Amino acid sequence: MLNLSGVTRRYGETVALEDLNLIVPDDTYMSLLGASGAGKTTLLRLIAGFEEPNAGQISLNGERLDGKAPHRRDIGFVFQNFALFPHLTVQENVEFGLKYRETGACADPKELTERAADALQLVGLDGFGHRGVGEISGGQKQRVALARTLVTEPRIVLLDEPLGALDANLRNRMCDELRAIRERLRVSFLHVTGSETEALTMGDTVAVLSDGRIVQADGSTELFTRPHNPAAARHLNAWNLLEGTAWAGALDTSAGMLPLSRPLAEGAAAQIALRFDQLGVSDLDAVPGGRSHFTARYVTGEFNGPTALSFFRAPDGALIQVVDHLGDPRLPELTEGRSYALHYAPGDALLFEGAST
Amino acid sequence: MNTNLLKPGLAAYTGLFLLFLYGPLIVLAILSFQGPNGGPQFPVQEWSTYWYQHLFGATDTSRVSQLPVGESLLRSLVLAFMTTVVSTVLGVMSAEAFRVRFKGSGPAFYLIILGMMVPGVLVGLGMALLSNFIGVSRAWWGTAFVLHVVYTYPFAFLVMLAIFNRFDRTVEEASLSLGVSPAQTFRRVTFPIIFPGVLSAMLFSFTLSYDEFSRTLFTIGRELTLPLSIYGTFSVEIYPNLFAFGVLTTVFSFTLLVVYGLLMKRFTAVKSGSYKGQEEAA
Amino acid sequence: MTTVTTDMPDTTETSPAAAREANERRRALMLLSPGLLWMILFMVLPMLMVIYVSFWTQTTFAVNDTLTTASWERFLSSATYLGAIGTTLRIWAIVLVATLVVGYPVALFIGLFVKNQTVQTALLVACVIPFWTSFLIRVIAWRPMLGTEGAINTILMNLGLINEPLTFLLFSEFSVLVGMTQIYCVFMVGPITFMISRIDESTIEAARDLGASFGTIFRRIVLPLSMPGVIVGAIFVSVMVLGEFATAASLSGRKVNLLGNIIVSQVGSLKWAFAAVAGVVLTIIITAVITLALRVVDLRKEM
Repeated sequence: MLNLSGVTRRYGETVALEDLNLIVPDDTYMSLLGASGAGKTTLLRLIAGFEEPNAGQISLNGERLDGKAPHRRDIGFVFQNFALFPHLTVQENVEFGLKYRETGACADPKELTERAADALQLVGLDGFGHRGVGEISGGQKQRVALARTLVTEPRIVLLDEPLGALDANLRNRMCDELRAIRERLRVSFLHVTGSETEALTMGDTVAVLSDGRIVQADGSTELFTRPHNPAAARHLNAWNLLEGTAWAGALDTSAGMLPLSRPLAEGAAAQIALRFDQLGVSDLDAVPGGRSHFTARYVTGEFNGPTALSFFRAPDGALIQVVDHLGDPRLPELTEGRSYALHYAPGDALLFEGAST
Repeated sequence: MNTNLLKPGLAAYTGLFLLFLYGPLIVLAILSFQGPNGGPQFPVQEWSTYWYQHLFGATDTSRVSQLPVGESLLRSLVLAFMTTVVSTVLGVMSAEAFRVRFKGSGPAFYLIILGMMVPGVLVGLGMALLSNFIGVSRAWWGTAFVLHVVYTYPFAFLVMLAIFNRFDRTVEEASLSLGVSPAQTFRRVTFPIIFPGVLSAMLFSFTLSYDEFSRTLFTIGRELTLPLSIYGTFSVEIYPNLFAFGVLTTVFSFTLLVVYGLLMKRFTAVKSGSYKGQEEAA
Repeated sequence: MTTVTTDMPDTTETSPAAAREANERRRALMLLSPGLLWMILFMVLPMLMVIYVSFWTQTTFAVNDTLTTASWERFLSSATYLGAIGTTLRIWAIVLVATLVVGYPVALFIGLFVKNQTVQTALLVACVIPFWTSFLIRVIAWRPMLGTEGAINTILMNLGLINEPLTFLLFSEFSVLVGMTQIYCVFMVGPITFMISRIDESTIEAARDLGASFGTIFRRIVLPLSMPGVIVGAIFVSVMVLGEFATAASLSGRKVNLLGNIIVSQVGSLKWAFAAVAGVVLTIIITAVITLALRVVDLRKEM
């Protein structure tokens, strides 16, 4: 189990990570979701020991990691740019760690070859050993990088946007393979990504990193359906947020008074979150019974293949998105510039206290 | 001025410029094949390799004394080799140090660069005065050697600095994350990757030291290096044997350059062939 | 789930980040110190020695360390020595302008007009290659070129342009200037070409589309952007020309006496203190020139 508590990392005046807490359990695939610049890479670099925290501690299975030299941490790292050794062949790249590591180096050339061959087989690169690393494709490079790391049997594997440099098709295939490989080795993977789809597909659990802190770490379904705070909701790219002040038992937003699911103090700031696919659209005078609603102007639509996105604007300018599935359309014909009623089941709305930042 | 005429005009000018650069060397090469009775000027009496043989002492007694190149050549080569080793090691170390930010890096940078800027005659004079002052006798392997390093180390440093600027740090981190110690990482990853740069630094250091004489002039002591032996013949009358020597030493420099080129090609071609195939099937 | 029971670091302990940084700084310093020590011992110390000895007492065949300003007084009241300062500055200024005038069009051609990368590299290499050959051989090669029976006189006489060989070509200030210009213009061409070839093609295209003539493009875009190259080249040429003595010694027939030549001849006659004075004067001139140039451009950024 990897445990980070109170980890802070500053670069001069800029704070990259602040008082960050995170637990990565054993034998799990965890995704770390965050926007670019949120400090995802910094977090991985702190765990691997390429950088050190200004405060807080990092421990693995109870053993303190911070302050320890990176090569004594036994942590695998897969880089976004692969970082293969350009002067070595694929085989030599994979053998590298086994051959030259400070402790537990493998001196027997036969065993070395065998273990490297096993690792290459594991990532589906049988018979590529003799190739130069300049002679293989991006997907193959990523596999070599993975094999090179896995062959040293690290205690945990950190993957820094490992699919970022691959094209969409290959990315999907690598997703499945990464999961399969991890399940065979039963070692924890911590996979950093900026894409919410990738995070939700890959992770048994997903941690959301925002403004230098972990705002939520949960199973992917729980996270998607029940984000705990506006920051987590925003990162999932599936929730609309409407802000307002509590007044007379409802939330006063620019789109109108919306019912509160629990009582709030008079005048308290709060946000209501509504999922893209749980909003219905109707004419202003035809709101179905039993559903809360508010008014917004239709701006435009976007066709995404199996789904269609419709964009609305609330009176205060907030953008509201509604998802419709083509196989099961819920939305009427919409005219640009016209106002519609956006309605939802009161139980689907999430209420977050506090103003948006 | 018409823009259409500008390009051919400049091209012709560049041609003339190259003639200006190479003309004297070509004339020198032609005159090195002067006959035994010809002088260091036109016309060429007869074509011969007499002065080349003269250089190696392969001619019968001559009116011209042999150029004193033998031992001084050996000394120059040894000195250039020593200088190359030391300045390349210092250059790599300093450039490696400059990869992290530290206070005072600016003054340190300029202190090193000063070594290639400060005129040889000045630092040579200073070294001669210093060695007199502390009572150390001057010698090519001592006072001259340290000045050669002062001169070539900045070049090696700049070459390595440029190499490290383009160096991808993540390959070192990858090696560390595989459990390989920093020392082994330098030996197995960093050094092989920067090796072409090291080769360039060595080429610079060797050539500059082999040819250096203004720093050497006051610091050499009794046993001369090659450029100083040559310089000694300047004040007296010159003969075509000097031209023959010039051709040979130029050929030597070019050979070094070609060897360097071949080594570079060998080290950069290996395993960097670019991927051309299709993405592998699922 | 197990609880981690490592102690909290106590407040006096430095953070791992600070420790790592201190470590890296220490490592940098350790790597750097041999080089810096070498430069201080074998460059800075000798230069200080030059200043020190310039105040020593010069007797006919020796110097002793009784401090005096006698050498300075003699130097500054001697027409020969002051003349050498003048000559040095004149030769420097002429060579600087000559290398710029001769080299700039070449740099312009290679950097701007040659689009093919291979041809560009080949031309640049052709300009730099003489730098790899022996300096002294390059100097001496001008003798058979410029002499009374040299290549130029032979060609001009054969063409019937002159009847008598031109004698001002060799063993004159002219030959020194020509020799230095040829030897040092490489250092002007290189940096300027580098800066010009870095100019974004689209900037020039855009200016041309707006109807700017080549003259305007050159004045407004190419010239300003190539200035750092000119400065860097000027620094290289300046320090080399100011410290010169060999070219003057072998091509001027003792007609041109630079400060460098003064130093060499003084050392030859064991007048160490006078040589040191000339050395200090030379140092002051070079420092002034470099300081001036560095005001205009930050060398560290251009490298």
